[in-house]
Amino acid sequence: MSTNLAEAVPATARRRPAALWSGAAAVAAAAPAPAEAPERTHLEVVPSRSQRRARPRALYAGIAVGTLLAIVVAQLLLSIGISQGAYQLNTLEAKQTQLQRSYQAVSEDLGRVSSPQNLAANANALGMVSNSNPAYLRLSDGAVLGAPLPASGAAGTVTGGQGNLVPNALLAGVPLVGQPQAQQQAQQTGAAQTGNSASAGAANTPEKKPTVPLQGALPTPVTH
Amino acid sequence: MVGKKMLRRRTAVTVLAVAATVGILGAKLVDIQVVQADKLQKESVTAKEVSTKLLGNRGDIVDADGTVLATTVYTYTAQASPKDAIAGGREKMVEAAAKIGAITGQGGDAVVALFDAALKENPKSQYVLIKSGMDVGTFNKLDALPYPWLTFKKFQSRSYPNGAVAGNLLGFLSQGGDSGLEKSENGCLAGENGEETYQRGADGVAIPGSTVVQKPAKDGGTLKLTIDSDLQWFAEQTLAQQVGATGSKFGFVTVAEAKTGKVKAIAQWPSLDPNNIDATDPSYWRLQSLTDPREPGSTFKALTAAMLIDQGKASPTTPVLAPYSWKSGNGADLHDSGYHAPLRLTLTGVLMMSSNTGMSQLGRALTDQTRYDYLKKFGIGDPTGLPYPNESAGELHPVKDWDDQTKYATMFGQGVSATQLQMVGAYQALANGGTRIPLSLVEGCQHPDGSVTDVPSAKQTPVVSAQAASTTLGMMESVVTSGELKKQLQIPGYRVAAKTGTAQQPDGKGGYLPSYYVSVMGVAPVDDPQYVVSVNLGFPTTITSSAAAAPLFHTIMSQVLKTYRVKPSTSSPADYPPYY
Repeated sequence: MSTNLAEAVPATARRRPAALWSGAAAVAAAAPAPAEAPERTHLEVVPSRSQRRARPRALYAGIAVGTLLAIVVAQLLLSIGISQGAYQLNTLEAKQTQLQRSYQAVSEDLGRVSSPQNLAANANALGMVSNSNPAYLRLSDGAVLGAPLPASGAAGTVTGGQGNLVPNALLAGVPLVGQPQAQQQAQQTGAAQTGNSASAGAANTPEKKPTVPLQGALPTPVTH
Repeated sequence: MVGKKMLRRRTAVTVLAVAATVGILGAKLVDIQVVQADKLQKESVTAKEVSTKLLGNRGDIVDADGTVLATTVYTYTAQASPKDAIAGGREKMVEAAAKIGAITGQGGDAVVALFDAALKENPKSQYVLIKSGMDVGTFNKLDALPYPWLTFKKFQSRSYPNGAVAGNLLGFLSQGGDSGLEKSENGCLAGENGEETYQRGADGVAIPGSTVVQKPAKDGGTLKLTIDSDLQWFAEQTLAQQVGATGSKFGFVTVAEAKTGKVKAIAQWPSLDPNNIDATDPSYWRLQSLTDPREPGSTFKALTAAMLIDQGKASPTTPVLAPYSWKSGNGADLHDSGYHAPLRLTLTGVLMMSSNTGMSQLGRALTDQTRYDYLKKFGIGDPTGLPYPNESAGELHPVKDWDDQTKYATMFGQGVSATQLQMVGAYQALANGGTRIPLSLVEGCQHPDGSVTDVPSAKQTPVVSAQAASTTLGMMESVVTSGELKKQLQIPGYRVAAKTGTAQQPDGKGGYLPSYYVSVMGVAPVDDPQYVVSVNLGFPTTITSSAAAAPLFHTIMSQVLKTYRVKPSTSSPADYPPYY
C-alpha cells in the first residue's frame, strides 16, 4: 500500500504504531466489515523530528531523581556518621577522664614513695648506712684525696638512728620495704592471741600480688 | 489554541506570584537573620546550651633538679540527696550508708547520722555533704556504687609529695590566707580558668559542631627553685635531731652557693608540712629565718674585721689587749661572755676568742658612718629581695640614733638585728671575693608557652676588696684550726672558715633573755670558697653556747661538700697568729 507513509515513519517508531497502523489498514483493506468501522478511527499524529527531540526522556528524569535520592541518602549517612562520632567522642572522653584519674592516682603514689622521707626510712629498714667520711680518687694520678674510713654501722644510719623527723602527712599508711611481711606476722600472732572473728577478717584480706613477677632475685618485667 | 494575549497574562501572573513569594520569604529572612537575630539566637542557645569551665591548672613548684615539691591534684567531694536515698525505704538507705562509710572511712553510722540530720531539718532535703577532699582512689570506689543520688564534685587542690621538705618555704593555700612562695609567686603559678559552651541533645551528648571555646584555659607556670630537695631534707632531719638533743626551741639551717648566691637549702625547725598545717604551731608556719630578725651576735665580728682590713686600719696581726670588761669613757660599758684575765690578742685572736672588748677597741679606728655604709653594702638593714612574703629588713638604725653603747655593740652584733638570710648574704660577699650577689631562691618561672620570667637579677655589689675578703676568711680559719670548738668544726681535707655567735636576745622589756640564740656560720673550702653554711639554734638548754650548733655545722658542711663533690683543699691554712 502506501509505501510513502511507511517510509515516513522512522525506524524506531515503526515497530509499534506503524505496524499497528499498517496492520489495521491492511485489515481494513482486506476485510472492510461495516461493524468494525467505528474502531478503526484510532489515529495519531506522528510527531515531527524536532518535536520528538524536544520531548523529555525518562532517562533524564531517572538521573535527576536518582541524584536527588543519592544526595538525601548521603546526607543521612553523613549525619549518622557525625552523630556516631559524637557518641564515640563522648565515650572516649569518659575513658580519658578515667585514665587521667588513674594517672593522677599513680603519680600521687609515686610522688609520696619517692619522697626523701620514705627513701631514707626504707634505706634504714634495709639496714643501709651512709659514710660520713668522703674520700675521692683523682683519676689523673690515682691519688686518694681525703681519709677513707669504713662506714660506721651504728652512727651511720641515714636518719641518725632517730627515725624520720621531717613530717609528711602523705606517707601515713605507706609501708616500708620488708614491712608488709612483718605486718602480716604481727597480724597472725595478733589473730592467734585474740582468736575471734576479727582475725578472720584479717586473714580474708586478699593478698596483693606484685605487678612485676619475681624471677630469681630481681623483679623482672615480662616484656623483653 | 491559546491566544497570544492569554499567554502574556499567564506569564505576568506567574512572575508576580514568584516575585511575591520571594519577597515574602526575603522579608522574613531579613526579619529572622537581622532584625530578631540576637533575640532568637539567645533563645535557641539558652534552651539547650551548656557552659563548662575549662580548668587552668596551677603550676608546679620544682627544685633545682626538677623534683616536684608542690603540684596540683584533683580532690573529690561526695554529696547525696537524702530525700532520694530514703525513698526506697530506710533499710536500703542504711545498707547504702554502710557501704559508703566503709569506703570513706567514716563508718556507716556516721553517714546514716548525716542523712538523718538532714532529713530531720528538711524531710525533702536534697543535699548533704558526705565527705570532701577525697583522693582519686576513694572517689573511684565510691563512683562504682550504684546509687544515682550519690554525686561528686571535683576540686583543684595542692599536694606536696615531699611533705615538710622545704614546706615553710613553699607555704600553702588556705582560705585563711596563703603563705610562702605559694603566695608571693602566685603571679607565676596561678592558672586562668577558661570557658567553653556547647549544645547538647536530649541524651546529654554534645551536638556535633556546637562546641565553642569562649575563652581558652591557661595553665600556670612552673616555678623552679634553687633548692636541692635531698640536701633540704638532710638539713631538716639533722636540724631536728640537734634541736632535740640540745633542748632548743627552734633552729635554722641555710646553705648558699658562694659564687652565685643560690640558696640550696633553707631549713627550719619546727618545720611545716603543707599537707597538714594544723600539726605545726602557726608561728612556725612562716620561714622565720626570713621574717624574724634577731640580734646576730658575734658572727657580726667577721664583717667588722673585713671593714678594718679593707680600710687598711688593721691587719690580721694588729695587737690589742682585751680585758674581760671595758669602758669607753663615754658611757659604753662592755664585757666578754665569760670572765677571763686580760688577753694579748691580735685581730685574728679577737675573732678566734670572740672578744667583744678587743673588737670594740680595734673597731674605733673606723668612723660610725664608715661602718654604717659598709653594713649597708653587706646588705644589713635592707631586705634580701628574696620573693618571700613579709620578709624583714632587720633593724639598722641611722648613725645619728646610735648612743655610745650601740656604737660599740654594732661592732659585735648587738644593737642591730638581721635575719639569718641577711647574714648569709653578708658572708656570701666574704666568700665571693668581697662582691655580694643577691641571694636567690627561684631560678625562674617557666610558662607553658616556653618563656621564662622571674629570673633574679645578678646585680653585684662590691663590698670589700678581694684581698680583704680572703684575709678575713683566713682569720676566721683560726676558729676552726685552734679555737675552742676546733674538735667539732674541723673537716679533714678541707680548709673551713667559721665564726660562732652566742647572742643574747631582748626579752621585750628592755632586758635580755637568760638563754641564747647560738650560731655557727662558715665558708668552705677557704682556698676556693664554694658554700656558705649557717646554723642557728634558738635558746638551747643542755648546752647554752655556740657549742650546741657546732656539731650540726660540721654535719651539714660535710654533707654539702660530699653532695656537691667539692675538691679537698690543696693549700695549707693561713695560720695567722692569734696572740702577740
